[in-house]
Amino acid sequence: MKYSLTKHRPEKIKDRLRIDNIISRHKDTPGELLNILEETQILSKYNYLSPAQLKYIAEKTSYPLSVVYSVTTFYSFFNLKPQGEHCIIVCRGTACHTKGSRRILDYLESVLDFGDEKINEGEKVFLTTKDKVITIKTVACFGQCALAPVVEVDGIIHSRMTVEKMKKVLSALKKKGLK
Amino acid sequence: MGKKTCNVKINGTNCQAEEGINLVEACLQQGIIIPTLCYLKDLNESGACSVCLVEVKGAKTLLRACVTKVRDGMEIYTDTERIRRARKVVVELILANHPKDCLGCEKNQNCDLQRIAYELGIENIRYPKTRQKDFSIDNSSPSIIRDPNKCILCGRCIEVCSKIQEVNAIDFIKRGHAMQVSTFFDGGLGNSECTNCGQCVLVCPTGALAENNSIGEVWRVLDDKEQIVIVQTAPAIRAAIGEAFGFNTGVPTTGKLAASLRRLGFSKIFDTQFAADLTIIEEGSEFLTRLKNNDKIPTITSCSPGWIKFGETFFPGILDNISTCKSPQQMFGAIAKTYYAQKMNIDPRKIKIISVMPCTAKKFEALRPEINSAFSFWKDKLALSKKEYFPDVDYVLTTRELIRMIKEAGIDYANLADEGFDDPLGVSTGAATIFGASGGVMEAALRSAYFYLTGTELKDIELNAVRGLSGIKEASLEIAGKKIKVAVAHGLGNARKLMQQVARGESPYHFIEIMACPGGCIGGGGQPLPVNDEIRKLRIKALYQEDRSLAYRRSHQNPAVIKLYSEFLKKPNGHLSHKLLHTHYHKRQPVKI
Ligand code: SF4
Ligand code: SF4
Ligand code: SF4
Ligand code: FES
Repeated sequence: MKYSLTKHRPEKIKDRLRIDNIISRHKDTPGELLNILEETQILSKYNYLSPAQLKYIAEKTSYPLSVVYSVTTFYSFFNLKPQGEHCIIVCRGTACHTKGSRRILDYLESVLDFGDEKINEGEKVFLTTKDKVITIKTVACFGQCALAPVVEVDGIIHSRMTVEKMKKVLSALKKKGLK
Repeated sequence: MGKKTCNVKINGTNCQAEEGINLVEACLQQGIIIPTLCYLKDLNESGACSVCLVEVKGAKTLLRACVTKVRDGMEIYTDTERIRRARKVVVELILANHPKDCLGCEKNQNCDLQRIAYELGIENIRYPKTRQKDFSIDNSSPSIIRDPNKCILCGRCIEVCSKIQEVNAIDFIKRGHAMQVSTFFDGGLGNSECTNCGQCVLVCPTGALAENNSIGEVWRVLDDKEQIVIVQTAPAIRAAIGEAFGFNTGVPTTGKLAASLRRLGFSKIFDTQFAADLTIIEEGSEFLTRLKNNDKIPTITSCSPGWIKFGETFFPGILDNISTCKSPQQMFGAIAKTYYAQKMNIDPRKIKIISVMPCTAKKFEALRPEINSAFSFWKDKLALSKKEYFPDVDYVLTTRELIRMIKEAGIDYANLADEGFDDPLGVSTGAATIFGASGGVMEAALRSAYFYLTGTELKDIELNAVRGLSGIKEASLEIAGKKIKVAVAHGLGNARKLMQQVARGESPYHFIEIMACPGGCIGGGGQPLPVNDEIRKLRIKALYQEDRSLAYRRSHQNPAVIKLYSEFLKKPNGHLSHKLLHTHYHKRQPVKI
């Protein structure tokens, strides 16, 4: 298991003061770590927690790094990779799959510019366009199988999605992030 | 205050149990062993594995014995058909996602999961594998390999690492089928705060944690007839290795150990204890100088590489207090490839040094670039090019690895006639033997320091105050009119307490011994399984018993070490000593991410 060091080179923490402020408000309160992490993520530019931020928080709160990482990977609320401004979640449940959710993913992959990253068969998808405008993800099931295939765009569920409809949704996102 | 006792019925028999203890312990007191995979007394009571199910009258479901407390009037059944069936289901569900490649597994025959599956009579597994993608194996550490596919998420390793060692290198990450034990951002043990102590390996009930095995490499050098392959064995090996060959725990088998190593084909059977005596001379002299100048006091011992990495990571401000002496393993390598090579007229490039250590962290230590010095000693003399670089210690085997080699070679260990170590680097004293037990280095150092300061021998040389298993031990000793206060800690959680004092400038001690592993090296991460306090005590007893049986019990009396100084090093802490036997430490980032 080789970890790419360059990919996550700790960026300069410009928001150090902001994190200090968040910590000072939550220190020694119940659930302090969760609250600190949550606010830090919300206030960070691409809505995610970077290794550098997590290291800083661990150092300042005296929580072990492994515990901080454990918490951030346990709750699906936390993102450890940069998020685009817009988020498209494609359901990969059985019903959606049989109704063609794969075609929608393929379409998204063909028109969005993810740089070198691509969708790997059988793995959870989490890709953000190079310009950090659009993130696409998959979920195992939204529990809306009657409406399959289901796609969520910025929190709004779109039912019976087709490639044609997806095209319209994308252009409504102001054509940002397109190849 | 006495605890209340409860009247309980176990499998129909009336008996008594102390209120509040759990059912695993209560049953054990009645001679009933409940199968457990995640439970570790006083340490892990997470109830994660469910294999310890028992029936309690009145309870609707089966209960997990390890998390159920004894109550008055409880009726407990441990051996009904319902329990047998339920335990089978539990273990089959664990095995559904388990690799089941016992034949090639490091833990084969030492694996709790394997043993319990056998004891429960599991023949086929009725459940399908649900994990879709296998996890990648973490081989980032030179000491420990982690295979998350074999992990049953019992949490024992996490508890040991956080509560006993207070390192916190690992924790559970993610959840559901993606859940595993991992380090910060999955950087791997080798890029984390992990001290390589191997205490997690000792408690892991499966092969998910094992040492990074060097057996193949060692066979290869043994087969190469061009090489002169020298072995050194640490004090703690002799106290424990017999356990794997049918000897009772606590029976030292030093003579058979030497004989078996000779059978394996090593050309010289030397003893790390020689270097332990040397360490005492160097460290003792360094300590007395520091004491005289009141400089870098307290001095802290440096033999335990798990402790050294811990100090470098968590206490960068106190590195100057740590003795600059290399550990005995590394002193041995340096001396064997310089003094011994020169004396015997052997090309140092042809010497391979294999260490047998109770320790997984020694594998990491041998790779520290700054600790290697034989090459620089020879570089100009032999006009060596950079490409010919050789380390002081070539390969490190744990006790467990040596046991496998002895078995693989078909050596009938138990019936070997006792043999001795070779001269001159196999000569040692009782002071070196006790290095393997927590407090031993301190005791050995004081035996010699007393002589250096007063010119007479310490009469009562058994320093009981620093012996035994309590976490932090203290003693004070009047030497030449000066009161010397010492402390001994084993287990890194205990070390942390002493180091916090040192960091605050409030340490009342002159000399501190730290061993990373609870009990000292006899409880090292590379020792035969299982390891618990009973076993630690017996192994410790074995070392003190050896010490008492030896002709020389003080390091400064070791004739081979005396000769080493007169023929080669000249004087303790002298110029050559500093080049070959001392090292330095550096601050470390907790994680390399
Ligand atoms: S961990 Fe145990 S059960 Fe699993 S493969 Fe290894 S020996 Fe067999
Ligand atoms: S080797 Fe020691 S420090 Fe490293 S993970 Fe295991 S218990 Fe923790
Ligand atoms: S690695 Fe071993 S000790 Fe740790 S959780 Fe997995 S099975 Fe348990
Ligand atoms: S031993 Fe009781 S739940 Fe694992």
